[in-house]
Amino acid sequence: MDDNLLEVRNISVTFKNRYGTLKALDNLSLNVKKGEILGLVGESGAGKSMTGAAILGLIDPPGHMSSGEIWYKGKCINDAHEAIRGREISMIFQDPLMSLNPLRRIGDQLLETILTHMNVTKSEAIKRARKGLEEVGIDPNRLNSYPHTFSGGMRQRVVIALALAPEPSLIIADEPTTALDVSVQAQILDLLKNLCKERGTSIILVTHDMGVIAQTTDRVGVLYAGRLAEIGDTREVLTNPKHPYTKGLVDSTPRIDANSFYKELYQISGTMPKLDAMPNGCAFHPRCEFAIDKCSKETPQVFSDRAACWLLENEAIVE
Amino acid sequence: MLVIIFRRLGQSILVLFIVALISFLIFRYVGNPVDNLMGQEATLAQRAALIEALGLNDPFYKQYFNFIWKALQFDFGNSYRGALPVSELIASRLPATIELAVTSAFFALVLGVIIGIYTAINRGGYIANLILSTSLIGVSLPTFLIGVLLIWLFAVELKWLPSFGRGDVVQLGWWSTGFLTISGIKSLVLPSITLGLYQLTLIMRLTRSEMLEVMRQDYVRFAKALGLSSKQVNFNHALPNTLVPVITIAGLQLGSIVAFAIITETVFQWPGVGLLFINAVYFVDIPVMSAYLLLVGVLFVIINLIVDLLYLAIDPRLRDSNTSE
Repeated sequence: MDDNLLEVRNISVTFKNRYGTLKALDNLSLNVKKGEILGLVGESGAGKSMTGAAILGLIDPPGHMSSGEIWYKGKCINDAHEAIRGREISMIFQDPLMSLNPLRRIGDQLLETILTHMNVTKSEAIKRARKGLEEVGIDPNRLNSYPHTFSGGMRQRVVIALALAPEPSLIIADEPTTALDVSVQAQILDLLKNLCKERGTSIILVTHDMGVIAQTTDRVGVLYAGRLAEIGDTREVLTNPKHPYTKGLVDSTPRIDANSFYKELYQISGTMPKLDAMPNGCAFHPRCEFAIDKCSKETPQVFSDRAACWLLENEAIVE
Repeated sequence: MLVIIFRRLGQSILVLFIVALISFLIFRYVGNPVDNLMGQEATLAQRAALIEALGLNDPFYKQYFNFIWKALQFDFGNSYRGALPVSELIASRLPATIELAVTSAFFALVLGVIIGIYTAINRGGYIANLILSTSLIGVSLPTFLIGVLLIWLFAVELKWLPSFGRGDVVQLGWWSTGFLTISGIKSLVLPSITLGLYQLTLIMRLTRSEMLEVMRQDYVRFAKALGLSSKQVNFNHALPNTLVPVITIAGLQLGSIVAFAIITETVFQWPGVGLLFINAVYFVDIPVMSAYLLLVGVLFVIINLIVDLLYLAIDPRLRDSNTSE
């Protein structure tokens, strides 16, 4: 357990609206080891981004974390989010066009972040800002440029430089490449991955793209309707999925190879339940081909640290 | 950058020509200036001489440009009442209106933005909600009623502040100011509040809703995620982005403060151009009315020009996008 940088223990995030209480995250646990890249995958609304927001204490009201604890470097940070933001855990958002303040030069935004967290002089901060830009492949002389003069991919590079500037130990990347062109996506992912590997920084990579998961992550967590469906080593989970939902996700991922031309893509029938209409028992059972009686009655826990599925109850997973 | 400024200047001048045209049409065609000037006993020969002297036989465009040419030299003819030059009348009244307008605009803008920020940051708090519901009164009460209520409370009942007039003024060249005497400042309080209250609530509500909108943006969330303090997030990131639309509305409101001053000046018998205009309307004093119209038009155009330039100063995107066109 010692090499766990972050432990998310049984957290629930709830929203109250006039019809009652909705659970956006339900009893979710996962952990991140030092230097590893953990992927979080799932459909829209499954709670991937919410997990990231919960870790940083950035859930927008009226939502709030109603139970559970978040432990970071051996300390509970439930009430200490401000202290860890940026310096310890930092975040990258989906849309680089919206992530930078349009009215301020990127240099000012970099300097502000560096001077807030690092105990350095202004000239040292400028030096670091220039170095930071260089590392993400941007001409350091563009320190005085405004965000609108950069393309989407370049802005995401600036965002990465900003997120790395306070030298955090963990970066939560919330769909960092979804808004970018396919050709730029790989560059940005590689850049992020390499910079973090160099520094020993861990990443939580939130995405809905199974291809990105396969190429980038060490481990992967699959979320469904606010609950953890399956978690494990990426290769293991993708090649030998234990949860029927994971299996469905893997099968419905498009492939480009000789065998898959003109073959129809697998579809998981139905849609993910809305938060105000959650079925009893396992949230996935109405769509599950393998559902048994128990699935509609009781919510499964995570068996063998791997998957939350009743089918695994009596089956030990051999590692 | 320069290109945009010159283009805006060009547009402003065009607008001014149109305002001048309307002003001229009122001057020339509302009522008959000859009747107004001569009285009933004038002979036909005298009338003809005056028509010739006023250039009323000239073609339309010539009269129009003549009007503009004179207006550029601040010559709007003589008032029908008292036969004083209109420009002198306006010059003697203008300081009062400008001091009133500037004071209430300052009051509305500063307090409006501050309270707006407060209610946005403390969204849902008791004080914020109280302010918000009270502000509905400011939006819904008509100006003259607020003025009368204030007079009743602070002048009649409490006797703290004067109910009318400007108090003692000090002459600085042709400018008469009430800022330098205690009675002048006391006199300024009630009219400024009356005139500025509506704008205050409007700016406050606008600032609040814009700020709430901006605080939902990703760059604000990103600034928070980078661990910046809430002071840095609110004032370095959220506020500047909030101010862009607030400035537009505030600019337009400053113009309407001058226009609405008519009502406030009437309620408080404030000796400004608004009161001058109202009296001119009573006596069909056309030259004063048309000069006032032109003056308000010029003020609006100047304010809009300043607002446009402020835009450019605040938002780098506009600076670049407009020059590349």
